[in-house]
Amino acid sequence: MSSTVATLNRLYGWKVRGVRWVEIIGVMLVAAMVFSVYLAKAAAARESARITDLERQITGNGQRVRLLRAEVARLEQPGRLEALSRGAGLGPVDVHRQATEASLSTLVAVPAPPTVPAAPDIDAAIPSAPAATPAAEPVQ
Amino acid sequence: MSAHDPFAADRPVSYGVRRYMPSWRWLAEAMWWVEHSFGRAHADARPEEDTRVRIFVILSLFSAVFCCLALGAAHAALMTEKGGVGSTIHPDAVVRADLIDRNGALLATNITHYGLYIDPAEVWDRKAAANQIKRALPRVSAAKLDKVLNGDRRLLVINRLTPQEKVAVHSLALGGIGFEPEDVRVYPLGESARHVVGNVDTGGVGLSAAESAFNDEIRAAGARGESFQISIDLRIQGILENELAAAATETKAIGAVGIITDVQTGEVLGMASWPSSNSRNLATAATYEMGSVFKTFTIAAAIDTGRADMNTLLDASEAFQIGNRRITDFHATNKVLTLEGVYLHSSNIGTSRLSTEMGPRVMRDYFQRFGLLSRAPFEIGSEAPIIPREWSDSTLASLSFGYGISITPLQMAAAMQALTNGGRYIPLTLRKGGRPDVQARQVISPETSLTMLDLMRRNVVRGSGGRAEAPGLRVGGKTGSANKSVNGRYSTAHAVGTFAAVFPADGPVNARRYQILILVDEPQTYPRTGGFVAAPAVGRIADRIAPFLNVQRRADPYRTAVGDRIPAFEDLEGDGR
Repeated sequence: MSSTVATLNRLYGWKVRGVRWVEIIGVMLVAAMVFSVYLAKAAAARESARITDLERQITGNGQRVRLLRAEVARLEQPGRLEALSRGAGLGPVDVHRQATEASLSTLVAVPAPPTVPAAPDIDAAIPSAPAATPAAEPVQ
Repeated sequence: MSAHDPFAADRPVSYGVRRYMPSWRWLAEAMWWVEHSFGRAHADARPEEDTRVRIFVILSLFSAVFCCLALGAAHAALMTEKGGVGSTIHPDAVVRADLIDRNGALLATNITHYGLYIDPAEVWDRKAAANQIKRALPRVSAAKLDKVLNGDRRLLVINRLTPQEKVAVHSLALGGIGFEPEDVRVYPLGESARHVVGNVDTGGVGLSAAESAFNDEIRAAGARGESFQISIDLRIQGILENELAAAATETKAIGAVGIITDVQTGEVLGMASWPSSNSRNLATAATYEMGSVFKTFTIAAAIDTGRADMNTLLDASEAFQIGNRRITDFHATNKVLTLEGVYLHSSNIGTSRLSTEMGPRVMRDYFQRFGLLSRAPFEIGSEAPIIPREWSDSTLASLSFGYGISITPLQMAAAMQALTNGGRYIPLTLRKGGRPDVQARQVISPETSLTMLDLMRRNVVRGSGGRAEAPGLRVGGKTGSANKSVNGRYSTAHAVGTFAAVFPADGPVNARRYQILILVDEPQTYPRTGGFVAAPAVGRIADRIAPFLNVQRRADPYRTAVGDRIPAFEDLEGDGR
C-alpha cells in the first residue's frame, strides 16, 4: 500500500523543466476541450446561419407561392370562367349526350356525312388522308 | 470576540459586527472567520494547511459550478427536442391562415404588400422624382407625394403597394425611396362567396362571416403555417351564384337567396345572396314569410303524430271558415282531397284543417323542434324569426301555409334538412365535416321522413315543382309563394317565390342527399309563384352540381334516367303554386 502511494507521489512529483507533467497534461486537455468547444460552437453557428437562411428562403418562396395561388384563384373565379365559357359557346352538356364509362361499349359512331363526288382533276391522283374518326353518340 | 482571533484588537471598529443587525450578525461573523483563518493557522503553527484548504475549497466550488454548467450545456445540446434548433417561429407563419374551401381552393389569403416611404433629404431632384413616381404609380395622391417630398423627414406616401407596384417604383432607382412590408388580407375571388368568407380589419381581426366566426382558429392555424378549411365547395358556390343571379335577373327581382347543404352533416356547401354587391347577407339577415313551403312541416307533423296518413281524406270542396275568416285555395279543386292531393295541389284548406285539428300545442312543439321559432344556430350571426304572439285557430291556419311567421332562409334550410335526413335537426355549419359539438335533435320519425321524401318527389313529378326536375337526379321539393306585407296589408304586387328541394329523394333515410333552397324576392315577371321563379333555378343547379357531388343519374318509379316521363304520372295543376 505504502509502495503504491510512494509511486503515485513520485509520479505526481515528476517534473519536466520544473513543471509537473500532471499540470502539462491538464493544460493540454483543457486546451483540447476549449478548441473542441470552439469547433462545435462554430459548426453550430454555421448550421444556425444556414437554417436561418433556409427559413428566409422558405418564407420568400412561400410568399411567392401565395401570390401565385392568389393570382390563380383570381383567374379561376367561377363567375369569370362561366362568362368565358358562355362567350365561347360552351354550356352544360345535355343529358342525352352524356355517357358513363360503363356505357362506352354501347356507343355507336355518328354516320359519316354523305360524300359528294368531286370533279376529277389532276389532284385526284394524290392519295387522300384517312377520314377523321366520327364523333360517338350514345344509343338511345 | 473569538479566542482564535489574534487580530481582533487591530480590527477597525467600523468593521465590527456590532454595526450589523442581529439577523445579519451570523453572516458577518462567518466572513470574518474565513478572513482570519490564515491568522489562526499561523497561531496554530500550520500556515501551509490554511492555504491548501482555501485553494481546495475554491477549486471545489468552481469545479462544482463548471460541472453544473457543463451538464446543463450537454443536456441543452444533446437532448434538444426535434425542431427546437433554429427559429421557433414557423417559416410559413402568417397573421391569418389561408381560408380554403373543402377541396383546397383558395378563398382568402395574406399577401405581403408594401408601404412606400420617402426620405426627402436623400432625393436629389424632387421634381423629377415626383414625376417619375406618379408615372410608375398612377394611384398615388399627387398632393401627398409633393408634401412628403418637400418635407423634412422620412414619411409614408402610400401603403398597400402590390409586389408589382413595388417593383415598378423600385426600378426607378431613386434615392430616398424605402419600402416597409405589410401583411394584407386579400380576397382573390372578389365578390364571389363574399357573404360566406367575410372580411377583416386592418389589424387582421375578422369582422364578418367566416373571418369573424373562426377568427381565433384562423389566427392559430396561421401561426402554425397551415390553412383553415371551411365547408364551402367553390365549384358549387360558383354555380349557385351564377344560377341565382340568372334567376334574379330573369325575374327582375330585388333580391335572391340560395343555400345548398349536405342534409346528413349540416355542412353548407354553398350560400349566396343576390345582389352580391349588397353587404347584407339575405340568407341570414333577412326574414320572409315563405308561404306554402310550410305545408311540408304541417303535413309532416300530422303524419308524425298519427293524425293523418296517405289515405287520409280532407274536404277542400268548400272554403274553410274560422270565425269571420274564410280560407280558400289558390286554385280551388272543390273536392275532397287525399293527403297527397292536399300537398300536390298546395291546398290551404287542407293544411288549415290539419293544423286546427292538431291544435296550438302540437303545432308549436313541431315548429319549435324544426327550429322555426328561434334564431338558427350558425357560426355567422343570423336574424331572429318573427313569430306569432298568440296561437289561435286563425293563426294556426295561417302558419300551416306559411303566413304569420317570418323566418330566415337559413332556418328554412335547416328545417327542410331535418325533414329529409331521417328526422334529425342538425344545425347548419360552415365547419368542414359538420359541428362536432352538437347533438342532432330528433324531430320526426324516420318513417315520416321517408313519406315526406316521397311526397316531395311526387310534387316535382306531378305537382307544382315540375320545373325543378333534373333528369335522373330524383329531385323532390315544395314550392312556396307568398305576398309581402306592405304598410300592414298583403300586397299582390310584392311577392316572394321559394323552392325548397332535395335530391336524390329516393333511397334510405341515411343516404347521401343534398338540399337546395332558392328564394326570389319580389319577382316582377308573371307568374310570380315559386314554381316559376325559383324551381327552374333549382333544376339547373341540381343538374350542374350533381357530378361534383357524385350523384349518379338513375331511374325511379316516376322518370327514366334521362328524364323521360312514365305516362302514369303527369302534372296535376301546373300552376307552380
